[in-house]
Amino acid sequence: MNIKALIKSLFLRKFSTGLLLLQLALTLGLIINSTILALDTKAKLEKDTGMPLDEMLVVVSSSTSGAFKELSYAASIAEEDLAKIEQIPGVIAAATSVQLPIQTGGWNGNVNDVDDQDAVLRDRYLKFVAKFHSNEKLAQIFDLDLAEGRYLTEADRTPLFSEEEMNIVITESLKNALYPSESAIGKLTNAGRIVGVVKDFVINPGLADDKQYAVFTNMPVTLAEFVQHYIIRVEPSQLNQVKAQIRDVILGVQPERDIFGLFSMREHMDSFYANDQGLVSLFIGLCILMVVITAISSYAYAQFHITQQTKLIGIRRALGATKKDIVMYVLTENWLVYALGCLIGIGATIGFNVMLSQYIELSKPDFVLAAMGVGILFVASTLATWLPAKKTSNIPPVIATKTV
Amino acid sequence: MFSYYLKLSFINFKRSPSLYALVLLTLSVGIGLVCANFALISVMSGDPIPEKSDRLIHVSMNTWATETPHEEPLHILRYRDAMHIEKADMVKSTVTFFASGIYVRDSESESLARINASVRATTAGFFDLTNAPFAYGTGFTENTGKVLVIGDELNQQLFGGGNNVGKVLELAGELFTIVGILEPWHLRPLFYHATENMAFNNTDDIFAPLETAIDLNWAVHARSSASDSVRTLDESRDKNYFYLQSWVELHKASDRKFLQQYLDNYSQSLKDAGEHPLDIRNELHDVNEWLLKQEVVDERVLAFSIATGLFLVVCIFNASSLLLSRFHAAKFEVGLRRAVGASKSQILTQGLIESSLLGVVASVVAIGLSGLFLIFSTEMLPNLANLAVLNGETLIAGVILSIVTANLASLYSIYRANRYTISAELK
Repeated sequence: MNIKALIKSLFLRKFSTGLLLLQLALTLGLIINSTILALDTKAKLEKDTGMPLDEMLVVVSSSTSGAFKELSYAASIAEEDLAKIEQIPGVIAAATSVQLPIQTGGWNGNVNDVDDQDAVLRDRYLKFVAKFHSNEKLAQIFDLDLAEGRYLTEADRTPLFSEEEMNIVITESLKNALYPSESAIGKLTNAGRIVGVVKDFVINPGLADDKQYAVFTNMPVTLAEFVQHYIIRVEPSQLNQVKAQIRDVILGVQPERDIFGLFSMREHMDSFYANDQGLVSLFIGLCILMVVITAISSYAYAQFHITQQTKLIGIRRALGATKKDIVMYVLTENWLVYALGCLIGIGATIGFNVMLSQYIELSKPDFVLAAMGVGILFVASTLATWLPAKKTSNIPPVIATKTV
Repeated sequence: MFSYYLKLSFINFKRSPSLYALVLLTLSVGIGLVCANFALISVMSGDPIPEKSDRLIHVSMNTWATETPHEEPLHILRYRDAMHIEKADMVKSTVTFFASGIYVRDSESESLARINASVRATTAGFFDLTNAPFAYGTGFTENTGKVLVIGDELNQQLFGGGNNVGKVLELAGELFTIVGILEPWHLRPLFYHATENMAFNNTDDIFAPLETAIDLNWAVHARSSASDSVRTLDESRDKNYFYLQSWVELHKASDRKFLQQYLDNYSQSLKDAGEHPLDIRNELHDVNEWLLKQEVVDERVLAFSIATGLFLVVCIFNASSLLLSRFHAAKFEVGLRRAVGASKSQILTQGLIESSLLGVVASVVAIGLSGLFLIFSTEMLPNLANLAVLNGETLIAGVILSIVTANLASLYSIYRANRYTISAELK
């Protein structure tokens, strides 16, 4: 195989060779970056939240009548709802909550030790500590692990708007922010007195792992103007069966409610990332189109051998080249173009990565992914070249004698 | 001559239909994708109220009562700050509102079923300031009273449409009289509430007087922040509870400095009274500045548009190499035409007409495809559900883009055709 002759023949068609090189490079850039995006999103979705997502059911509702404005009425209805829900076979525990984990924003406020008001100036995340106003069952529902002290009990129940000091439990990252070098148990914060610390779990996926600040109280909030969340822990694989009954149970207690959300915590997590996942699908769709287009170009490029080089190949055949030699010749030419394309493609990949990073979070390309991208292109372009190469090899040696 | 060239083009197309079909498809897919993205971005970055967007000013103030503000300045205001803006006399009109939601039913209906309606609890200046289009009745003129303006969609849901001014609705146990009904009203983006991911929500179902909503303790459905303990909204008026947004309409855009001065004077008076621990920092943004600051254009779409742009480039390259192979096959014909007297410029004109024709056909296919891509994109990105609109701007851009790309793709083959000497191909 004469590489020099090959390169020379490529130079004869520098325009179309150049076009194909750029196409290969851009396609490689897109494939690698799309894969990075897909893997990043997959990693987010598979991240361990610390909660049994498939055993948690969420009901979101609003009261539709004015009757619920009476605080004691709303509270008693909520109590009755929870009692009825817990009677459903397969339900382990149920609690009201003002918000769900795995979200941004929500019900939050500043938390600091009563003797250290300036803590929020040192750590701005202390201004936005998530508050889980719920009941004593929330630890069981979320499957929280105690790091220190105890979890809340029925005895810690505090009525809404009470001026009394309240017992609270906090997450470990909040404990580390407030009391880095000592036990937090018994400490008094502006949110209440700490009786326990639980291990971190994912509260706001947008924040770093050590910023998952949260406070838990045993102060159920049942204000009519807020959306009501019931979070229910069910036995493994009982979720759908409980889900099917929940609407009737709640409306059976009091019908003037609009239940507009009924989903597992897993579905909640998926919908949190729905837009990221959607973008991945768009990029993958585009990759497929791009590979098809590039394969068409490779085909058109190799097709030249029939229209352009018929005579030359005929002469080669006449001089003793076998059919196999010709196939190899066309393929090698393709591989040469493709190798050059991949070389430029690495530049395109990095450039593309930098451009995309302006708008979305994206990891940097790595070697394995680059190798994978190269592999896909290799297969696609080889397949596309195979047919014209076969055809070319069928050019009979007699052509050499026919033309002048 | 033109029609002769057109005829020639058709003959050419017919001679190698599969190749031209491939070129057409390649270009259409590329253009369609770019257009779908362009449509999304053009809707997201559009000016929703061009007739006065430079005179409508959003007010952010820095009146947090302690030294640890959440951010400086805040886009949400306390009641008393907002009421001070309402009193400004150098402006055409003002509006103060918060977003809420409530369940509603026709008070005369037999059924107790209620519809979930989004609410704008607002001062009376809203309708004039936002140019809200009335189908029946008018806006309310006081910030109190049990009156409502409802949107077209709610009017359809409750009554099946028509003039229902004067009818009475029940909202959480309270009776309200309808005084006005709006026409279908699409604001993209929803400039008056561009924060809290609401920039592409629909316009509200119910518009109710602000003071009434506060007295009835309606929920605040957008960001609120407080440095005082506030149990219910009706006790919030003199507390440090931040939840209202304010817009001002100026007589002319250059009046902005007077408004700035007015607000700074107010902040200074708070400072003098010892109620203002932070720097005086009141910020004004007109509609477009505000939308830009809130970054309402979805970043995912921007990222994807880079990819579609590159894809179009690849499509052009592809079409270009396909057309080049077509040219090689037709070299003889060009040589012949040159030999029988066609000038270079005539060959060029013919080539351009052929590729423009290709572009026009591609644009039709591309616009069809872009509609599909648009539906697919909004399916994939659920937060863009309200945005699948192919506006006139996009259609025109699509046609121009098609013709330009088709010509770009054929440029090299046309150039090669022109360089052929008459004799070379006729030997």
